[in-house]
Amino acid sequence: MTIKKQITFKILIFLISTDLMETFAQFCFKKSAASAKFLTINHFSDGILFLKAVLPSGFLWLGLLSVLLIFITWVTILSKIDLSVAVPVASFSYIAVPLVSCIFLHERISALRWFGIVFILLGVILVSVSSRQREKPA
Amino acid sequence: MKQHIFLIIGLIAITDLSDTISQLILKSSINKIDWHVNSVKKALYLVWQLIKIPRVWLGFFLSGVSLLFWLFVLSRTDLSLAFSLDSMRYIMITLASVIFLKEKAGLIRWMGIVYVVFGIILVTVG
Repeated sequence: MTIKKQITFKILIFLISTDLMETFAQFCFKKSAASAKFLTINHFSDGILFLKAVLPSGFLWLGLLSVLLIFITWVTILSKIDLSVAVPVASFSYIAVPLVSCIFLHERISALRWFGIVFILLGVILVSVSSRQREKPA
Repeated sequence: MKQHIFLIIGLIAITDLSDTISQLILKSSINKIDWHVNSVKKALYLVWQLIKIPRVWLGFFLSGVSLLFWLFVLSRTDLSLAFSLDSMRYIMITLASVIFLKEKAGLIRWMGIVYVVFGIILVTVG
């Protein structure tokens, strides 16, 4: 076995930068989706109207470009560590996304929702720790 | 917004299920290639190897489906609520990794998942 499956500092940096790009992409997608806000979508064919409203948005394409970059870094990460390790550790978005939506999109986040976000993060940390301990004996 | 919560949960479930299948396809393909990446060139070579596999394109298609549903959800709800509900993919992906990729999950990992689920419920109520 030439491939080590333990999380290294380098992989952590990769995961955090992937998450930052992910946050940026999410921000772009929300901005692009805002242009379709006033459409009422009742039928399947209304989806085409939705696409027509979203496609000209520069934010959509900026978001898609980020997704392309994310794919390259994500594939690199997955070649190093397990899927059930990589996904939970990529939890930085749970701090970054609410902060971004709070600051730039002026969305209100209730105390209970913050509490939930903290719980999700705790769970995610537990999952990652269990994965690391499991990798050590091997 | 409150009366649409179950519709939004359902739509996000579709988003996450297609994302999970896409991730499974990607990870199992990477496992098969078994390529050691230590440079940008090698990373791009791995990407090149991957895009030559037909089922990886099925994964891309599912990612596209996932993105479309996700965009629709985002046009109807707060980014913070949508993204918090999206965490159900942690459960889906861990379960799928255990079942299909034979990755082992111990007590601590499942405890972590329970925490994640509890967090999701709090976020949904809040």
